[in-house]
Amino acid sequence: MDKLDFSGLCSRPFSEKSSAHLEDLSAITSSVQDFPLPQVQDVDRFESEVMAYVKPNHGTTTLGFIFKHGVIIAVDSRASMGSYISSQTVKKVIEINPYLLGTMAGGAADCQFWQRNLGQQCRLYELNNGKRISVRAASKLLANVMFSYKGYGLSMGTMVAGYDPTGPGLYYVDSDGQRTKGQIFSVGSGSLYAYGVLDNGYKWDMEVEDAIELGRRSIYHATFRDAVSGGTVSVYHVTANGWKKVRGDDVGELHYEYYPAAEAHPCFGTDPLEAA
Amino acid sequence: MANVAYQLGSSGYAANSAHSAPHAHPSWSPYDNNGGTCVAVAGNDYCIVAASTRLSTGFSILSRDVSMIFKLSDKLMILSPGFQADARTLHKVLQQRYIQYQFNHSRPMSVAACAQLLGNTLYYKRFFPYYTFNICAGLDEQGKGAVYSYDAIGSHERSGYAVQGSGKDLIQPVLDNQLKAASPLVLPPENWMSSLPLDQAVDLVKDAFVSAGERDIYTGDAVEIYIITKEGTRREVVELKKD
Amino acid sequence: MSIFEYNGAAIVAMAGKECVAIGSDLRFGVQFQTLATDYKKVYKIHDKLFIGLAGLGTDAQTMYQKLKFRHNLYKLREERNIKPSTFGELVSSVLYEKRFGPYFVSPVIAGLDDKTSAPYICGMDTIGAIETADDFMVAGTAPDSLYGMCESMFRPDMEPEELFETVTQCLMSGADRDALSGWGAIVYVITKDKVVARTLKGRMD
Repeated sequence: MDKLDFSGLCSRPFSEKSSAHLEDLSAITSSVQDFPLPQVQDVDRFESEVMAYVKPNHGTTTLGFIFKHGVIIAVDSRASMGSYISSQTVKKVIEINPYLLGTMAGGAADCQFWQRNLGQQCRLYELNNGKRISVRAASKLLANVMFSYKGYGLSMGTMVAGYDPTGPGLYYVDSDGQRTKGQIFSVGSGSLYAYGVLDNGYKWDMEVEDAIELGRRSIYHATFRDAVSGGTVSVYHVTANGWKKVRGDDVGELHYEYYPAAEAHPCFGTDPLEAA
Repeated sequence: MANVAYQLGSSGYAANSAHSAPHAHPSWSPYDNNGGTCVAVAGNDYCIVAASTRLSTGFSILSRDVSMIFKLSDKLMILSPGFQADARTLHKVLQQRYIQYQFNHSRPMSVAACAQLLGNTLYYKRFFPYYTFNICAGLDEQGKGAVYSYDAIGSHERSGYAVQGSGKDLIQPVLDNQLKAASPLVLPPENWMSSLPLDQAVDLVKDAFVSAGERDIYTGDAVEIYIITKEGTRREVVELKKD
Repeated sequence: MSIFEYNGAAIVAMAGKECVAIGSDLRFGVQFQTLATDYKKVYKIHDKLFIGLAGLGTDAQTMYQKLKFRHNLYKLREERNIKPSTFGELVSSVLYEKRFGPYFVSPVIAGLDDKTSAPYICGMDTIGAIETADDFMVAGTAPDSLYGMCESMFRPDMEPEELFETVTQCLMSGADRDALSGWGAIVYVITKDKVVARTLKGRMD
């Protein structure tokens, strides 16, 4: 069977005259050939059945927004396999370098591995060029890798956030290879709940404390309604001086901070059958 | 390319493919689940590593005395319930990399380095995974217990304790109840390691296996326990019910 | 996703010394969306008999109304409360009537015998196969988590207060590993001369 030549799309250098730093990059920008594929006729079907069999970690709420004083990133920390909660302490913000953050949604292994890989690529860029990589370029590196694996069943919905000489940056990158610049994003199973609170409370010129609280509250409300989001709420603030983790709250306690009286909560109504 | 049909679990796929592909091997699957439960608990100055010794397939017991604990060194162990053929292969790969690391760096591998190596090794089989659910446990450079748990394709996390394998659902909430500490993600930071004294933690692990043995058919016969401290590593075997 | 996991539930019943306890979580959801956090899944038949119905919410409510009706008829005819074991058989036969189009519920029954104060606990499958237990019984979307907790925590002949504490711990820690149940709990402790119901605060995620 004939094969189309896609080598131009691969992240490997395809030119004989490729510069030295691209050669270096190829050492860590793994290509498809590094990952052994099963010797079966229907790879797609095999992949989908394997994923149902090994049940990788899933389920998330993450958000990020740009405002007057920088970027806010907020995430939950739950990982689940189906309805089983496999961890309440997942670190879903990946600290790529002191000025760049990545968030995790989708397959935990896919996010962890490729964002670590992105961290390596960004460090090499710094060494080769003597300056920090821009948010725009970093997100594109990740999007290029994702594009080269399109159709292989990777699952990743991520935000790349950071600060560079052009100002704050926020990009959404996913495993389809899509890359979008934006001002507000929320990603994951609980993202719709988070958007509800976030869109309602967002203002460009809000104070830092208010922005942090908006991020925290949006994630909290998502964890309340979405069964597969929860654990702790972590909030990061990115400025020209780099990122800083500003909040870390256990949702088990946060709920009672927001609603000290259980009966006052809107979900506490009356029993339809008035049983027992 | 070899023409190998496949089947996972016990779905109705075998019957369908028997009609469409008469020359394939409809009942063959690259995976099996051999059961077994693993537990690891990290303390401030110890690490407890435990695994049941029964090897099963379906409703049959293949062996009552098979170790799931792979010792890379006295202070560094990998526990791999799941599919034992994949586990053995994985252990061989890690053993080779471990020796190579010692030649290259002239020192033993740290738990953190081994944890990352295991994560990458699993991820490099992303499209044809090892069907194993690992725990990597040992003492870190400060002498504190370190436990890392994994999913089948290499996502991993350090925690105060971990359970994997067929008895995971039964044991995990018990350890949550007895050992749960603050999350490592909270600000201001709080101690998230298991604060139980060593002897109490060992008793808890033994009790957990006895309880799991009552309800899980893949957990039984015996549990092999390694107690790793700065002074050295001790091995214990506790008998479980054989039914 | 199984139809049993459509709404989510966690139910535990446990026997003590001349007392029984039964409790449920409070979440009512549709798949992964939480709709209410005050939804009790344990229903009272009479002062010394409670039934927990896990599974599909609509079937659980219908079952409860049917059982309440049958118990009212029983009282009119017999002029006394139904015995827990008799009620168990009743639930079983009501379920088996729908052998080929079952109610998607897994019941757990907990009661005290009126004369001897002996605890009675049983569970059954959707079509009414009874399984009695002299220690504990669980049902819901994470039965393994609940079984694991109960298996480690249960001690024979507990007094009411200790029984309450044990059931609480089993229910809360079990539900904390299940995405589809939790959001608080309610536990009933039934003794010879009173029933104590306590609502428990839990993780709301």
